[in-house]
Amino acid sequence: MEALRWLGGYIKKYTFIIILAAVLTLIHVTVIFISPYMSGFIVDDVIVNGKYALLGKYLTILLASVAVKEITWYIRQNLMEHVSQSVIKNLRCDLYEKLQRLDFKFFVETRTGDLMSRMTGDMDAVRLVMASTMANLFQMICLGAIGLATMFLASPILGLSLLAIVPFIGVFAFKYSRVSKPQFLKVREVLSRLNSVVQENISGNRAVKAFSREQFEIDKFEKVNNEYRTEQLENVAIWNKYVPLIDFAAAMTNVIFIFVGGALAIAGKISIGQFTMMNGILWCIVSPMQMIGGFANQIQQFVASSVKMRTLLDTEPAIKNEKVTVDHVKLKGKVTFKNVIFSYDDERVLKYVNFVANPGDTIGIIGPTGSGKSSLVNLISRFYDPDNGAVYIDDINVKNIDVTTIRQNVSMAMQDIFLFSDTIEANIAYGVPDATHEDVVRVAKAADAHEFIIKMPEGYDTIVGERGVGLSGGQKQRIALARALLKDPAILILDDTTSAVDMETEYSIQETLKKSYSNKTTFIIAHRISSVKNADLILVLSKGRVIEWGTHDVLLSKKGYYYEVYENQFGDFNNAPDFEIDNYYEDEQFLERQVYRNGKK
Amino acid sequence: MARNKFDVDEELIESFNASQMKRLARYCLPHKRKLLIVMLLMLVSSVLAMLPPYFIRDVIDKYVPDRDYVMLVIAALTLVAAQVVITYITKYKAKSVNKIGQDIIHDLRLDLFSHLQKLPFTYFDSRPHGKILVRVVNYINSLANLLSNGIVDIVTNVLSIGVILVFMFALDVQFTVICLIGMPVFAVTIFILKKYHRRAWQRQSSKQSNLNAYIQESIQGIRVTQSFARENENFKTFEELCEDNKSSWKKAQYISLCIPNFVQIISAVTLAAIYLSGVDRISEGVLKVGVLIAFTGYIGRFWNPIIALSNYYNELVTASAYVERVFEMMDEPLVVEDLPDAETLPQIKGRVEFKNVTFAYEEGDRNILENVSFDVSPGQSIALVGPTGAGKSTVINLLARFYDIQGGKILIDGHDIKHVTLSSLRSQMGIMLQDSFLFSGTVADNIRYGKLDATDEEVVAAAKTVCAHEFIEMFPDGYNTYVNEMGTAMSAGQRQLISFARALLADPAILILDEATSSIDTETEKALQKGLEKLLEGRTSFVIAHRLSTIKNSSKIMYISDGGIQESGTHDELMQKKGKYYELNMAQFKYLNV
Repeated sequence: MEALRWLGGYIKKYTFIIILAAVLTLIHVTVIFISPYMSGFIVDDVIVNGKYALLGKYLTILLASVAVKEITWYIRQNLMEHVSQSVIKNLRCDLYEKLQRLDFKFFVETRTGDLMSRMTGDMDAVRLVMASTMANLFQMICLGAIGLATMFLASPILGLSLLAIVPFIGVFAFKYSRVSKPQFLKVREVLSRLNSVVQENISGNRAVKAFSREQFEIDKFEKVNNEYRTEQLENVAIWNKYVPLIDFAAAMTNVIFIFVGGALAIAGKISIGQFTMMNGILWCIVSPMQMIGGFANQIQQFVASSVKMRTLLDTEPAIKNEKVTVDHVKLKGKVTFKNVIFSYDDERVLKYVNFVANPGDTIGIIGPTGSGKSSLVNLISRFYDPDNGAVYIDDINVKNIDVTTIRQNVSMAMQDIFLFSDTIEANIAYGVPDATHEDVVRVAKAADAHEFIIKMPEGYDTIVGERGVGLSGGQKQRIALARALLKDPAILILDDTTSAVDMETEYSIQETLKKSYSNKTTFIIAHRISSVKNADLILVLSKGRVIEWGTHDVLLSKKGYYYEVYENQFGDFNNAPDFEIDNYYEDEQFLERQVYRNGKK
Repeated sequence: MARNKFDVDEELIESFNASQMKRLARYCLPHKRKLLIVMLLMLVSSVLAMLPPYFIRDVIDKYVPDRDYVMLVIAALTLVAAQVVITYITKYKAKSVNKIGQDIIHDLRLDLFSHLQKLPFTYFDSRPHGKILVRVVNYINSLANLLSNGIVDIVTNVLSIGVILVFMFALDVQFTVICLIGMPVFAVTIFILKKYHRRAWQRQSSKQSNLNAYIQESIQGIRVTQSFARENENFKTFEELCEDNKSSWKKAQYISLCIPNFVQIISAVTLAAIYLSGVDRISEGVLKVGVLIAFTGYIGRFWNPIIALSNYYNELVTASAYVERVFEMMDEPLVVEDLPDAETLPQIKGRVEFKNVTFAYEEGDRNILENVSFDVSPGQSIALVGPTGAGKSTVINLLARFYDIQGGKILIDGHDIKHVTLSSLRSQMGIMLQDSFLFSGTVADNIRYGKLDATDEEVVAAAKTVCAHEFIEMFPDGYNTYVNEMGTAMSAGQRQLISFARALLADPAILILDEATSSIDTETEKALQKGLEKLLEGRTSFVIAHRLSTIKNSSKIMYISDGGIQESGTHDELMQKKGKYYELNMAQFKYLNV
């Protein structure tokens, strides 16, 4: 019921069309009775009584009534298709919009295949209910009502005895609905899993081949494939338990009609003519009853599908605009972290992070794998909110800036590069859809990508595979960099963007950045000293804490972690001193007291 | 390679035809006995379903005039009995036919999925993944009804048309002929509509596939979308795709919905024609009234199965648009497959030879490798360096035979890899690719992917070797932490370490690391290398890396650019040579000091 009310919200807009369809259905149902009448007249008047002149008239009416019947049906059906397609379009758009606004955490916890199910298979159940179930249900109710009314008018006793079947059918239909609902949910759930298994297998096809795990994948798939079959058959079993009973009860109307109607006729309560007429109308009562099982099935499928859709629509994004004071502004790019603590689930990822980056500064971030580098920059774009402390841009708490405004001003080249299966040009212009070709080429040159792009068979029009498969790591990184540069942001974040690029290329990229993008606050996460060496401030992160900070020279003189990394990369690899990070700055109080000032010379 | 993207309709190579019909039939064949039984039972049931009109005639003609209550009760009881039989037949039909239908789509899907496993990277690389997904899941689901209930109902309907025709001919030949005149009209209409009808549903399936592709990419690329604040732009695109989908659906339905309409109208016209000619013949005195009335009763029974068939015809047209795509995928050629006489590659010792290898990703493209030859002794560690896109990954892809070469030979322990089975080749290699893909499941599951029967101890040991144990233990759920392909709280470096552990657990004779440590800090890497050293003893390894500290200690370093190996030797040798590698090496100091 809740599901239907929810659907009602989507239908409301189409009330007029639905009323029109209902009127057409009424006409359709009424006209249905004309042709049997005409046939009766033809037999009685024309054939038996020999009024041949009437034949033309009756046949014209008969054909006209069939034409009206078919035309009203055709129009109604198309109207309902229109409504159903519009509703699922709106529903899809709403779901899509929701997905676009949900936060990273949601996507980490949800399988793509499940979401695909919401947008595809589940939609189909809605489509069916809208396009066929609703209209047919209405038509059948009308038919049944007309049929029963006619029966009652002719003989209340016969009408009542036929009506006696209805409660049985009602009970079976209700039971079927109740029992089948959880099973439909189960089917949807398995279908979701089937989607996920296949989807992942496709995305991970390289890993599958690399480990020669084809058979394992087939087995994994086969398990779900089998389960899907089992659940579907279980569904049929439930159907089989109740729906044939409904059919049986519906067929009993025939028996009741013959028995009661026949007895009434014998007793002389009704005439043979009435009996014949009622026999002609009996199907109006039988067929709606026979179709109830199908309706219940379609409605329950819809309810099962709608449950997860509604859950998705009701999911609130963790990141949303609340007390927005700043909107639609060009930010200058000052970034401040004050005592930022951030946890991911129960794991504390950042602890008491403090620093200030002035507009135009370059901030290098370096540290072991998993030390919180990416989390730190993710807080700037407000992909997550810190547990404690705050992140400020231009001295405004990011929570008070419109999320879109932040992201328009912050450009990020992520570690995990995702390219869309589209042309290289479209990928670079992703952030600025109306960019000119010249703009795209300019940033591609700045990212040192232009040359390899024009060497490709179709240059900038080359379509890259999903996730940029087919391109080398370095090539993907440079396209991602170009994409980030095109946005002309106030803050530029390069998360390990040049790790797969050789040093020479990296150097030339850095030179360009220095020349053309020096007014932007730039965050560079890297493992190579050469990538961060020229930064105005280098933060060394370990286990979520800033353990060292300063410029390259300052950090070298500290002979701490940074120095060791430097020695590793440039000194004699085997003779570097062993350095224990673990014993370094365990004192959180100390860290908390510090507000790191920008370590400019 | 013609690559496809979300807003481009896919071209159809082969449209639905008799041979595809035959292939589909092959899936139904194993069930032919069951199908036959069901059809026979259905015939029984449809004969029983004819009883009520029969009894009603008797009620009107005999029982009421004779005031025969006894016969009335007998008639009612007979009907109840008949209905019980019908109910059991219906139950049996639902059970067995749905079983058959589910079995068929199960088999079809399994075949499709199994074929998918053998398809080359290029297949996956050249189209949005959403378009592959809908074929395996949604399209096949759409066939379920047609391949189960459809078959039975089509056959029983055709049979009942036959039976009714016999009755009709027996009753009156002339009327039957008039009735049958409607058929060619109907057939011609269907024939004319067919082309548009088919095309409309093909277009619809393309639009559906485009939409699905876009949804999938939008979900997977959500981070990029949000970080570029492109939600509104995407929404517009999405809305357009939805609109395309909607209008193509409606257009296809315009045609589909016509068809049952036509049948109804033709049936009404033939009815009128029969009245006309019947009245004529009655007035001439050559026809009895009863025959005409009885015949008009049959007309309904004649057209009902045709209406049912026309609905199945619609379903068939819709389904054929899906069947085409499904079979197209099944027919997708395997670029790399086991030769008929492929042998199992024995335990690899680790000798690798490239002999005059020439390779281009596509016919006519520029050669990525040209006449490349080199030789690796068992146990050697080989580093591949060179500019991005020069062909380092290609060498590795060829060694694992992800692609076949156009010229030359690749030998492992003297066996041409083209003549051994793919699984015996790849299962002995540990390959860590550039993209570290994690499957949804626990961290332990993901590591275990390298060796399915690994014990927990082995998993932990592998994790320890790659320095992943420590951070895994720090996750709230440790090794049971749930991860998926979208990543988790894990950083790219951590994910690399996990896929590294996975590669190690496979206990490979040849270890291949393609930028395996690019996102890992040098400290961790150093520790990792120490762990690896012991493990790699006696195994051949190939390493691609940009960080020179990673490769310095390799037994042989090969500098690849311009389609070939420009230099090769140990670090010291190459440094002395003062060639490209030397330049590369010096660059890092140069750039450090500017």
